[in-house]
Amino acid sequence: MARSVADRSIAPARDFFEQVGDMMILTGKTIVSAVRPPFPYGGEFILQFLFALRLCWFPLLISTVAFGYGAPGLQAANFLVLFGALDRLGGFFVLASIREFAPLVTAIVLAGVAGTAITADLGARKIREELDALQVLGVDPVKNLVVPRFLALMLVTGLFDIYALLFGIFGGILATLVYHAPLGPFWATFFTNASVTDLWGSILKCTCYGAIIAIVCCYKGMTASGGAAGVGRAVNQAVVISFLGIFAFNYVFTQTLLATHPEINVIR
Amino acid sequence: MSEEEKADRPIEPSDRVKVVQESAPGGAEEYRWHTGLNRPTGVPDAIEFIDVHKAFGRNKILKGLNLGLPEGKISMILGPSGTGKSVCIKHMVGLLYPDDGDVLVHGESVPNLRDEELFEMRKKFGVLFQDGALFGSMNLLDNVAFPLRQHTDKSEDEIMGIVNARLAEVGLTEAGDKMPNELSGGMRKRAGFARALVLDPDIVLFDEPDSGLDPVRTALLCELIQEIHEENGGAYTVITHDIMSARRVAEYIAVLWRGRIVEAGPAEELFNSDNDFVRQFLSGSAQGPLGME
Repeated sequence: MARSVADRSIAPARDFFEQVGDMMILTGKTIVSAVRPPFPYGGEFILQFLFALRLCWFPLLISTVAFGYGAPGLQAANFLVLFGALDRLGGFFVLASIREFAPLVTAIVLAGVAGTAITADLGARKIREELDALQVLGVDPVKNLVVPRFLALMLVTGLFDIYALLFGIFGGILATLVYHAPLGPFWATFFTNASVTDLWGSILKCTCYGAIIAIVCCYKGMTASGGAAGVGRAVNQAVVISFLGIFAFNYVFTQTLLATHPEINVIR
Repeated sequence: MSEEEKADRPIEPSDRVKVVQESAPGGAEEYRWHTGLNRPTGVPDAIEFIDVHKAFGRNKILKGLNLGLPEGKISMILGPSGTGKSVCIKHMVGLLYPDDGDVLVHGESVPNLRDEELFEMRKKFGVLFQDGALFGSMNLLDNVAFPLRQHTDKSEDEIMGIVNARLAEVGLTEAGDKMPNELSGGMRKRAGFARALVLDPDIVLFDEPDSGLDPVRTALLCELIQEIHEENGGAYTVITHDIMSARRVAEYIAVLWRGRIVEAGPAEELFNSDNDFVRQFLSGSAQGPLGME
């Protein structure tokens, strides 16, 4: 009885760690498959890249402008106006938008739009036994399905980060204009605080978010079971795990970046 | 030793797949019908299961499976639903690995193959999945051509020649341009059959080819399996619980229940078996050891 209760309470944790381990193994296999010839995934890579681009550009545009305008824009401006320091909004946008919000909003939109589509697609193929058929026909699903999605999502998140930066900052400009303040001081504090480290840090972090989303979503799709309901469950889990992975990685990355580049801690 | 002598000889201890003697974990009662008797066929086995155990979580599916599927014959694995027949197929092609025991294909241990070797070994196989498992993004022609494009250097004209011939064999000449979602279940199955055979594989596995087909189409499909086997040879393995299909095409039968072989051997001998379970199952009778549980 006691053993059965213990088993039941330990089982979910064991299952979780098993899945994390499997995702790590999939990551390793994907990287090895990506660099080891042959390279049959070019066509699929382009298709997946264009697919993610087509699906995400508009939701990301709306999200970044709205988020940039609402959260760091209006909220911070409202606070800074109290001190007569609205000009500092530009500097704040370096911290808020470049370092955190642009990569995060990009990752959330990518996971919710492209990641779920990947899980649903692979999950449906798994349920219809297409993935089994591929393997039986001597085709490696990691090389032919996971690698192109992995590379496409990494590239697209990296590029979308720049896109999100531009539209996020546009949200900040809107907030400044709403407060009837000139844009000159905004740009002055923005460029005083911005550094190349901020830019490459943001792009690198967002690219890694893309890798996390791709691995989690491919894994959940390829291990879906239990018919149509199982695919729905897999999609739901893929999004949740992607977000958890992104937040956990963000903590590690930010800590490491701040520790290794102390100059970006200084507010100018 | 002549073929007749080979067939008549008693089972030797040296036989790789032999009588299951181990005691059942669930008690002897659960396995009282499982003699595990494997009547010799006189030909070597293309595929062998050696004391294979497989569980999914707490659900034990294969519990010490010993089975040999002979070369050059149409074998059938028969058994009630949920006894692990499809799991057997997935073990043969390395889509699942045993928790314990070994699976040999032409003497090679499938669980011990490296990924590259496994993908190479799978080229020996043609598999017809339950619903055809056609690729949803390709039309029928491309689906059937897929293995040829992947694994051969044939020109596109040659490939199309082979594909059209295979589609004609399964009566789908007119449906080449259709997508899988435009086809009926029976058509998808026949298309899957054409794809499974397009590389002339040494071993062909059929996972319930009769499920979802009307009796006439089932009979026609069985005839087709026989014809193509006569033409190409090789080890064909059919997973089913349809006794009529077994009577039509089986040359070798293995009856699987509760994760083990009840009895196996040449079809005519199995149909005359005095094992109560085998007799009940092969006659489709309601009376006997197999109940609704």
